[in-house]
Amino acid sequence: MIDMQQLSFRYESAQGNALTDITLHIPRGEFLGIIGPSGAGKSTLLSVISGVIPHHYTGDFYGACVVNGMDTVEVTPTDLSRVVGSVFQDIDAQMVSSMVEDEVLFALENFGVPAKDLDSRVEEALATVGIANLRHRSLDTLSGGQKQKVAIAAVLAMRPQVLVLDEPTGELDPASSQAIFRVLRTLNEQGTTVVVVEQKIMLLSAFCKSLCVMDRGSVRLHGTMREVLAHPELLREIGVNCPRVATLHEQLLAAGLSAGPVPICVEEAKAMVEGVLA
Amino acid sequence: MKGMLQYVHGNTILHKVPPLLKLLIAIAICAACFSTRSLLVLLALIVLDVILGFIGNIGRQTLRTLCSLCKFSSIIFVLQIFFVTQGNALVTLPLGVRITDEGLRFSAMICMRLIGATLPLTVMLTLTRLPDLTRQLVKVLHVPYKYAFAFTTAIRFIPILARDMAAVIEAQTARGVELDGNFIKKLRLLLPLCVPLLVSSIRKIEAGAISAELRGFHLRGKKAA
Ligand SMILES: Nc1ncnc2c1ncn2[C@@H]1O[C@H](COP(=O)(O)OP(=O)(O)O)[C@@H](O)[C@H]1O
Ligand SMILES: [Mg+2]
Repeated sequence: MIDMQQLSFRYESAQGNALTDITLHIPRGEFLGIIGPSGAGKSTLLSVISGVIPHHYTGDFYGACVVNGMDTVEVTPTDLSRVVGSVFQDIDAQMVSSMVEDEVLFALENFGVPAKDLDSRVEEALATVGIANLRHRSLDTLSGGQKQKVAIAAVLAMRPQVLVLDEPTGELDPASSQAIFRVLRTLNEQGTTVVVVEQKIMLLSAFCKSLCVMDRGSVRLHGTMREVLAHPELLREIGVNCPRVATLHEQLLAAGLSAGPVPICVEEAKAMVEGVLA
Repeated sequence: MKGMLQYVHGNTILHKVPPLLKLLIAIAICAACFSTRSLLVLLALIVLDVILGFIGNIGRQTLRTLCSLCKFSSIIFVLQIFFVTQGNALVTLPLGVRITDEGLRFSAMICMRLIGATLPLTVMLTLTRLPDLTRQLVKVLHVPYKYAFAFTTAIRFIPILARDMAAVIEAQTARGVELDGNFIKKLRLLLPLCVPLLVSSIRKIEAGAISAELRGFHLRGKKAA
């Protein structure tokens, strides 16, 4: 679905590369989490996928990024947006209107969806993220979590095959963050490829299928959740918090106990501890 | 708390007046403020604004806006009063500084104009749903969609930026910075903060523009052209 080959990028105004020699393949149906310290290039990577780089932010671009057969350098971000829906961290700044319904209608009207379909498309998008009841509300009466759902619905209205999100829970409390990730999981189960940048490793390990760890413009680790969490010492070196279940596994191993594969959720950790105790 | 310029829902007559007409009324009041030199007329216009606020069921909010406008214009009042030297001196201070009756009148006029012109716009914008206004600008006035969109987006950003500013002030106060002092001191403390605020505003506006572009904004521009 998304294929990056030896991709490097330097912002025009910057000295060093924001991305260095990234080769990354994201298959259709993937639910990929991206984590890494601030300045690692996570947002830059998403901008490449959505075509904002190099079309909006210019600079030195080497290598290639192909999304659904389209080279992102050759097609416009608007054309790409028929395939890739983007949600940003800043909840308020990404809104274009003041009412929930208008926010969702914006893309539909722009892309020329026939008037007779508008109503059902809005309904469908809002229902998918579970906020059909908020349709006629004004945006400034909503909570942060509800607004972020509106932002997701607004891009879902275009029925994108890929959804990329940049720290969508950055401004949210833990409960709303969970709710957003539940929405993402549902979408993923319905076939949407999801790529999400997120600081909270617990959310990623609970919801994502695979994980990509970035540091200083490079991909340091990429694999299934279990493969990546099997490297706690490397994660710590990069500055990524390890989930407690993985740390526990590491400590059991260090104590000379055979703990089996890394657990990625509390249930697995429980089984692991029971196994060790048995 | 409701931010300024944010739409307040209601069912009053003013809510039902078409957005463009509301804007027109507001602009008419503004124009009247700037064309009259009579303090009495200015006072009457300000009272009219407040009455409009009460009709629109946002009376309290209007009074609050009036209050902050008064505070702001009192600074201008004090500054102005020393610069006008024509007319009969009422008070003579050392260093040849005089407060004259003409100066007093002129300063009062400036301040009341400022209040009288700002108030109707805030009242009407608070009573208007922005999408309705955009739609009318495009349909009735045939403003190109791009410009109507830019106009309403600019208005929409005001409360967002005001909130950022309030957050900065709150953060500084929490760090023990005294912001209750006199105006000059306050300005000296806040001015350096304006740069990061400006940078973050530009970031926000950029994010908004990208978000619109990624949802086909340019397509509509093309079709309209
Ligand atoms: N618009 C820009 N212009 C110049 N440099 C930028 C710009 N955006 C990001 N950078 C730089 O690129 C690097 C990666 O940034 P970013 O992708 O935002 O990291 P992350 O999202 O992982 O925190 C940083 O060193 C940052 O300073
Ligand atoms: Mg980022």
